Amino acid sequence: MVISPVHYIALPLMAAFLIPLFGKLNKNLVRLIPGLVLLYLSYISVILMTQVITKDTTIIEIIAGWSPPWGINLVFSPFTGFLVSLFSFLGFIIWIYTYNFKPEVDYAQTQKFYVLFMMLITGAIGVVLTGDIFNLFVFLEITAISAYSLTAFYRERDGAEAAFKYLLIGSFASFLILLAILILYTQVGTLNMAEIAQRVPDMNPYMKGVILILFFVGFGIEAEMFPLNGWVPDVYTQAPGPIGAIFAGIVVKAGVYALIRIIFTLFDVVEVLQLLVVMGLITMAVAEVIAMRQGRLKRMLAYSSIGQMGLVLVAFGIGTHEAVFAAIFLMFNHAIIKGMLFLSATYLVYHSKEKNISDLDGIGKLMPFTAFLFALGSLAIVGLPPFAGFWSKLYILMAAADARLIAVIAIILVVSVIEIVYYFRVLHRIYFKERISTVEIKIPSFNAKFAMLILALVIVIIGVYPDLISGLIERAATDLLDKQHYIQSVLSVGRN
Amino acid sequence: MNTILIEILGAIATILLAFTVGMLYGGARRKVIARIQNRVGPPIYQNFIDVVKLYSKETSIHHGWIQHMGPVFAITASITSLMFVPILTSGNWFSNLNFSGDLIFLIYMMVFGSLGMALGAGQTGNPNSAIGVSRGLSQMVGYEIPFVMSMVALMTQFHTTSITGMIELQAQSESWMMFSNPFAFIAAIMAMLGMFHYAPFDIVHAPAEVASGPVSEFGGKYLGMMMTSGSIFAFVKLTLFVDVFMGGASNLIELVIKTFALYMIPVLYGVINPRYRTEQAITYFWKWPAFFGLIGLVWAAFY
Amino acid sequence: MNSLIIILILVFGGAIISFVLNKFLPILLNSFVVLIMLAVSYFFFSIDAAVQLNFEIGGFHLQWGFTSAGYLFGIIVVVLGFLTLLYSTAYMNGKDNLGYFYMNFLFSIGAMLGILMSRDLISLFFFWEIMTWSSYLIVIYSGKDVDRRGLKYMIFSAIGAYSMLMAIVIVYSFIGSFLLEDIFTSIYAIGFGYQLAIAILLMIGFGVKTAIMPVHVWAPEAYAGSPMSFTALFSGALSKMGVFGFALVLFNLVSTQNWLINEVVAWLAAITAVLATFYAVIQTDAKKLLAYSSIAQLGYIIIGLASGTYLGVMAGLFLAVLHAVFKATLFMAVGAVERQVGTTDMTKVTGLIRRMPLTFIATLISIITLAGIPPLGGFVGKWMLYEALITSDHYYLVIMVFLSSTAAFLYSYRILFGMFLGQEEPEYANVKEAPLAMLIPMLVLSAISVFAGTFPGFIIEPIQKAMLVLGFENRIPNIEWYQLSVLFNSWGDKVVLQNIMISVMGVFLVGLAFITIKGYKNQRYVSTKDISSSGEVIQPEDNMTFQMDFYKPFERAIWPLLKRKIDDYYTDFGKGLEALFDFIRRFYSGNGQLYAIYVMAFLVLLLIAGTKYFGF
Repeated sequence: MVISPVHYIALPLMAAFLIPLFGKLNKNLVRLIPGLVLLYLSYISVILMTQVITKDTTIIEIIAGWSPPWGINLVFSPFTGFLVSLFSFLGFIIWIYTYNFKPEVDYAQTQKFYVLFMMLITGAIGVVLTGDIFNLFVFLEITAISAYSLTAFYRERDGAEAAFKYLLIGSFASFLILLAILILYTQVGTLNMAEIAQRVPDMNPYMKGVILILFFVGFGIEAEMFPLNGWVPDVYTQAPGPIGAIFAGIVVKAGVYALIRIIFTLFDVVEVLQLLVVMGLITMAVAEVIAMRQGRLKRMLAYSSIGQMGLVLVAFGIGTHEAVFAAIFLMFNHAIIKGMLFLSATYLVYHSKEKNISDLDGIGKLMPFTAFLFALGSLAIVGLPPFAGFWSKLYILMAAADARLIAVIAIILVVSVIEIVYYFRVLHRIYFKERISTVEIKIPSFNAKFAMLILALVIVIIGVYPDLISGLIERAATDLLDKQHYIQSVLSVGRN
Repeated sequence: MNTILIEILGAIATILLAFTVGMLYGGARRKVIARIQNRVGPPIYQNFIDVVKLYSKETSIHHGWIQHMGPVFAITASITSLMFVPILTSGNWFSNLNFSGDLIFLIYMMVFGSLGMALGAGQTGNPNSAIGVSRGLSQMVGYEIPFVMSMVALMTQFHTTSITGMIELQAQSESWMMFSNPFAFIAAIMAMLGMFHYAPFDIVHAPAEVASGPVSEFGGKYLGMMMTSGSIFAFVKLTLFVDVFMGGASNLIELVIKTFALYMIPVLYGVINPRYRTEQAITYFWKWPAFFGLIGLVWAAFY
Repeated sequence: MNSLIIILILVFGGAIISFVLNKFLPILLNSFVVLIMLAVSYFFFSIDAAVQLNFEIGGFHLQWGFTSAGYLFGIIVVVLGFLTLLYSTAYMNGKDNLGYFYMNFLFSIGAMLGILMSRDLISLFFFWEIMTWSSYLIVIYSGKDVDRRGLKYMIFSAIGAYSMLMAIVIVYSFIGSFLLEDIFTSIYAIGFGYQLAIAILLMIGFGVKTAIMPVHVWAPEAYAGSPMSFTALFSGALSKMGVFGFALVLFNLVSTQNWLINEVVAWLAAITAVLATFYAVIQTDAKKLLAYSSIAQLGYIIIGLASGTYLGVMAGLFLAVLHAVFKATLFMAVGAVERQVGTTDMTKVTGLIRRMPLTFIATLISIITLAGIPPLGGFVGKWMLYEALITSDHYYLVIMVFLSSTAAFLYSYRILFGMFLGQEEPEYANVKEAPLAMLIPMLVLSAISVFAGTFPGFIIEPIQKAMLVLGFENRIPNIEWYQLSVLFNSWGDKVVLQNIMISVMGVFLVGLAFITIKGYKNQRYVSTKDISSSGEVIQPEDNMTFQMDFYKPFERAIWPLLKRKIDDYYTDFGKGLEALFDFIRRFYSGNGQLYAIYVMAFLVLLLIAGTKYFGF
């Protein structure tokens, strides 16, 4: 079988629909199939990325024989490929983690979980890979619906409320994006992103601006920009732990990807980058400040996530090559580290009803492995050497310095101090307080530990030797900024 | 070998000189105070008799080796300071180690003795001693400030830190520092009042309050050594002041006259004053004396 | 393999191994850490001055190698590291989490060596951060009130570190290289405003570790709350990292025309010295007293450096070396008392001199050195400092230093009297002398203090080489270190240390002989209960101890200065921030419809007012 990017979409989608069928054969297959799929996706990621990097090409995949710009095409470039590889790898690790998660959940629930899980992966990967804007919207919807359902997975009141808020705001997002696409179509007459990129410069600036605003707000909701991110804290808190990891690591990255693709590739409005920096700074500052006042662990992590995404937006907003490099590096780091934080945090507050931070007092002695990993994640996300987070923070600051944005540097560093305060407060409670809470602890199962350990190793190794991955990211950055290359690669396929 | 022998003899001679003069001054003080209080008072050589008596007493107890060493520290400080202070402005008599040290060294050496004594007093465990020590040290913070200010003013104005250098410069410019920088002089005199621990700054020894403070547990040979050290030290301080402010003395007679004149200032001032409390003493030094010291510094800077 | 790498691997590897070792073979832990440190010392002292390491990582060019300045401080780190580790083996006996303790201890030492061998700013920052969090982990190791202590330390360290980072990225964006030599040569090409900003940011970063006002508030609790063996290293070596940084910045980054920065820094340090000394005087806990004293001494060092003259810088560096020596000894002594007696509260512990005589001697020598009294080493440093300040017309600074030094006598006496002298209490009748592993480091360091008093040459020689790196020409002739026993200042005045020592020792011995021999046979020792008390007979149960409110009169005299601590300002500021954050938090009210309204409002806002961002 020839390996092609279509597998990324086809396999998970098929798996999602076939899981219930396989489930009738053997209950365990339900848990197993997603793992196999993700493992395969990670495998092909390696192959395709090698191909793309060594041959310096972009793989364009045509669907259903209709060549662009009339048909839908998938674009596997260094940038999109990098993101998709990240998603596959992270998805696989999280699958390992969820294999025995909450074994007391009954079969019907498990089946639904994995179906939705596969749909979520399909949607997120689809958003990144597609070259057609309406297709992007469709995949976004798939992702969104799976996400809504997974948020409410535990069928409790709080989960339902969170899912409802997500649904409400998310629908808003979908509406705005759809509207924008429609107006765009009337203006340029095509849905293919490469062709849109070609035709946009000739658009009426007024229409261009309005469409861009609609996209900005719509994707901004998905990218957790302030003030559109009201849904985030509740959702991340109420969703099951591994799902929170998926949201933070995969879903929001897809949202950011869409926003960035629109701004960098499709449109040519440079001024919006300034707005991106401003909104990113506000997002970051507000989120971190609130995170400091949180008393519940997952909610604190949620706000921290928003803050990091704000930083990513700032980095993209600065717009220079180094800044984009830093932004992609940060996305990678954040996915891995936040993923690990959510995974370990889930076990730390497993039996706690309210999931308060005060339940963590003294847990360091009872769950040394998990607590240690959480501590590692905290140190990494704050940006301390010798962990991976240090490098991404450094690169962003350097990029800002080169652009002479001193105020930006100052704000980022002040916020970093705040981050240190609240993460270290948690660490302090974990290790140095007496355990007075009577909540039971849950030792994670072997596969969960294994999954978290892999993520931790990645963090440490990249921290000590970032060159392993900086080459890839460098290519990804170059690729993103090279609009002409994108247009040419896609449309030249069509010409043939 | 010969020179070393001569040096040591010279040192011993200096010590004897300082001892004699110091004791006599002490006696003179007692006489003066007595006369002011309308008494006859002890004879001027009374201190010598006291010292001999103390040394001939048997000291039967001690509280430990640091207490034993306390007076030794005191006398080491006095004699070492003596070695480094120019007694006469010229000639080889009594010149000792004049050229090996400077004013800053001397200021620190003077503290060595009091700290050593404080340690000795500490081991005795007598709370009176401890109270005396704490008061003494606190007061020292007080009077050191104007003293140091005036010394720094001098060093700045003379552009040297060595005392022999200061004496030379005063000889060259044919005027005493007392008049070249009167503010520094005034500040130093006020500080001197504190340094001598006579009233009104005698709360350290307050006989009726803390049973003589740090020396409460010292008797016999210890007290004798302390008296010796005290008299030598008084001589050192006076000579230092004379050297620095009054151009030094070219012969012994001139030295005696100048130091005695200077000595009468704290004695006379003390005899008519009651006692300051410690915090009053400290803050007293930080007001007018420090003010004069500051003026002295500014004066020196612009001279 | 490059000896730099060997040293780092030994230390960092040793750290991780000791953590693991503690889980499996705790018995071997003590010997293991001492051996590791011996190995590191061996490699360090046998290092060739020209050894360098250049490599690329993450797209940056890093360079490692010991400059003479780094080597000087490296000596302090290695020697102190070894001695404090030796001391720890006895001091930490019986405490738990030893593996964690030693791991972070070794990490700190390794990070310090890394900082000193960094010739580029990225490595410097990298190791600086490692030093920060490893020392943080020990600061919060034990004791009560750990949150405040740890939090303050972490916040200030973070502020300092991030100021440094900001300066580093700005420098890089202008100069294009992180290498220190490139930066030192090209810094003057940058605009003056940026130069100033970079210098100030770096000084904030280094100032935190040096505990200069106003970023000193973490120090008293951190020093007092950590285990004493670590505090000896913390105050002795770690604070010197800040001094090292200051030296680099003040002499290489701040152009000589910019005397204003030097003056400001010197005055800040002077105020720190005076106020910290005053606070030290009124303490009742020996650990806190030493902590404040450390802050004050660091102030002297910075004044020396900031004076900018040859003698001043030499004084500052000399005091830095000596401070490491005597402060470590003092913390070790207090730790010894803590271990043998159980408390360091000076209102409770007294009269230990006969029970712990060697500890007392070590403390005595260190205190004399601290106070700067001749003939010990501290006087040399103080003398040079005063001379430097006077000859460079900094009269008022001299007064401040004198004021602080004189007040230092107070707490110097207090710590001796508080723990060793005074009344002997029956509950301490069975206290034993500290174990050998604790005594040896203290006595070795005391010997160094004594030796440095007459022959300061052996310290001054490496200092001179370090000063060459900082840009000062050598002014002392090339003579052997043991010949260097005369101190000069720029006006030609001198102090002959040998004569001082001869005079002091001579008189002391004669006097001691005299007073001992006289009446020797009939003297007997009596306890401290047998004292003169104006006729009353003191019963064994009477309490004659005077330890409370020892300096109450002094405290009353200076109370206006002590009224408001900077710490209070920070606490108020922190509370204000928390209130602000709470207010911001209400934005996320939990009401889904409100969130939807935010979206609408933002959309409308952009449509109306955001046109310039969207190209129309």
